Amino acid sequence: MQDGQQGGWNRRDFLGAATLLALALGIPAAAASLTRIDADEAPTDRQRALMKDVSQIVIPRTDTPGAGDVGAGDFVILGLAHGLENARKPLREPASYARFLRTDGSVRHVAWLEKELNARAGGDFLAQAPAKRLAIVTQLDAEAYVTRDSESPWKAIKALILTAYYTSEAGASQELRYEPVPGRFDPDLPQTPDFKAISNDWTAVDFG
Amino acid sequence: MQFDAIVVGSGITGGWAAKELTQAGLKVLMIERGREIVHGEYETELKDPWQMPLRGSGDADLYAREYPVQMLNRQFNEYTQGHFVNDKDNPYSTAPDSQFNWLRSYQLGGRSLTWGRQSYRWSDYDFIANKRDGHGTDWPIRYADLAPWYDKVEEFIGVSGAAEGLPQLPDGKFQPAMALNVVEQHVRRQVADKFGRCLTIGRTANLTVAKTEEGRSECQNRAICARGCSFGAYFSTQSSTLPAAKATGNLTVVTDAIVEAVDYDAKTNRVTGVRYVNTKDGTRGSATARMVFLNAGAFNSVHLLLNSRSEAMPNGLANASGVLGTQIMDHANTLSTIALFPQFNGRTTFGNRPTGVVVARYRNMDAMDGVGHTRGYSYQGGALQSNWGAGKREAGVGEALKTRLHTPGMWRMVLVAFADCVPRDSNRLTLDPVKTDRFGIPQLQIQFAFGKEEQAALAQAKADAAEMMTAAGGNVIMGSDQPGTGGMAIHEMGGARMGHDPKTSVLNKWSQVHDVPNLFVTDGAQMASSACQNPSLTYMALTARACDAAVKMLREGKI
Repeated sequence: MQDGQQGGWNRRDFLGAATLLALALGIPAAAASLTRIDADEAPTDRQRALMKDVSQIVIPRTDTPGAGDVGAGDFVILGLAHGLENARKPLREPASYARFLRTDGSVRHVAWLEKELNARAGGDFLAQAPAKRLAIVTQLDAEAYVTRDSESPWKAIKALILTAYYTSEAGASQELRYEPVPGRFDPDLPQTPDFKAISNDWTAVDFG
Repeated sequence: MQFDAIVVGSGITGGWAAKELTQAGLKVLMIERGREIVHGEYETELKDPWQMPLRGSGDADLYAREYPVQMLNRQFNEYTQGHFVNDKDNPYSTAPDSQFNWLRSYQLGGRSLTWGRQSYRWSDYDFIANKRDGHGTDWPIRYADLAPWYDKVEEFIGVSGAAEGLPQLPDGKFQPAMALNVVEQHVRRQVADKFGRCLTIGRTANLTVAKTEEGRSECQNRAICARGCSFGAYFSTQSSTLPAAKATGNLTVVTDAIVEAVDYDAKTNRVTGVRYVNTKDGTRGSATARMVFLNAGAFNSVHLLLNSRSEAMPNGLANASGVLGTQIMDHANTLSTIALFPQFNGRTTFGNRPTGVVVARYRNMDAMDGVGHTRGYSYQGGALQSNWGAGKREAGVGEALKTRLHTPGMWRMVLVAFADCVPRDSNRLTLDPVKTDRFGIPQLQIQFAFGKEEQAALAQAKADAAEMMTAAGGNVIMGSDQPGTGGMAIHEMGGARMGHDPKTSVLNKWSQVHDVPNLFVTDGAQMASSACQNPSLTYMALTARACDAAVKMLREGKI
């Protein structure tokens, strides 16, 4: 047997379970009434730059590209507009985000993020030094996951950054291993430190 | 158009009916309501995620508006959305206080393109179930009647699996089994040693040995089956039965045509053919034949019979008994348990195996040991490691997050229970009295609810699953005993059940309408009980058996 996490379970595991349960029970992942994106929600150049920067902070460049490098920022904006990650779902408790609500009760994530980061920066977020930008995003992220029920718009943004990155060619096939035609199934291998996760393990993508 | 036989539907059973009847020398028309899909020309099969507009996730906004039911299918995504119906264009209604998620695929090949491929025989525990506990009506057949047809079907479609010698889950003609992964091997041993129960690899219609004579390769372990497989490695109409039927030269295929009624001649007491709507232009057409096979999918075959009402049969064709549409079923399923197995971190796998595992039924066999229920349940699931998707649900950014998602994550095992669904008169299909579809055809109305038996079975399944996982060293983190909405097992069946007595059933033991001898219903509509196994293999075996009987009757001048 190997070591690793012993005993207990963390929130991440429970949320994976919740996703599975929703699938098994057939609970709609998104609310029924959706409206089309409004023209005045088209992102500004600054918002695009901001989303690219934040993407790169979440998945930075190492020996492989970062999320900002592979266009994750624009994909996040696209995905939000199309309601991915329940982005068009009306909030249960909208009061906290009243300034950013659409008429359908969903949040304008991009506008929220811009205001939120600037507020935390005490000015223009993008003008801050890299270490401060990282610290601000780290804090925002930590707060979003404190409770399972948190409706922080950050969760959808971060989820879409990860989707954008790990389904990009670099993320899927350089950072991870992309094997569209494995050709075999090996049921028991040692997981050595250099063993890259398979990006196209679809069952794990669904249920991981 | 005049044919020997008309087959309505081209899915799992329609393909089989077409193959069997054409191979017997009959001229057959197969009518499919959906579009043509050509084997090997699966549009998204070979696309990488970065080539997809929304990276495989698809347009959630569009799905909420036009695919609100289909999007609940685990197989439904941007790659596969073309293999599922548009709910907006294909409406159905539910009775007040009823919920039913009707998951459908209208296209050449039907749900054979998107099915889960799990292929299990029924046993006599299943065929005697109604007689034993008094729910529903007794099956007019037993395992011995069907066993040779299971053999035939398995050998042709190719089912990989492990022989286990279980009376409740009879062995078949298997190709070599796919492998259990390291955690599943461990749990199998523990569950056998401590409970005497059997966890075995899924018996799946994915080839582990190529069937080169049919142009089918062995499975490549991609696990993207629902996109369509140009390797022909899983059974579908396109990969298997359709080429066989076409090779006879006896098959005519018409797509994009919804059969709206089966014509009945009261003078001869025979059906004479079908009437259909061309979905592209709304024009009407018809075809005639010496016999008709309904393989439209359980609920659609019943819908068609109800909509084929006539002066002679005002309550629907094949409804002299009055039971047409009643006792529909779907397996009650739920996520019984998730357990973590951190002791296996350090072991991993390679390749995407296209099947999970099954824990064979063990309740209410020779001893009636179910608490509050008299039928069976079994589990399907498997062990898997989390991957990059797990990063969406936990705090963390920057290099630490990237490093964490670089390697496979925590092992967990999942068991989903499938419980036998008791046949009830209150669960039924009718024609909606008001609503129609875009062609003016009355919508199907579904009335469905699970009852106390299914609730009790899932409660026991949850407790048992936690007990098994804990005994195997797992750390149980959650479980449910609440059935999902009806339809979510995608095993909807019944409504035109087989039985001994024409007064209490629609079909005889040959899947033949009691009161109309040249009309056969060989899809899931014919089921008199549900068992807890995935039903498609049984539908195929019943279809092959019915075709053999029908051809003999035709030759003997009996129909």
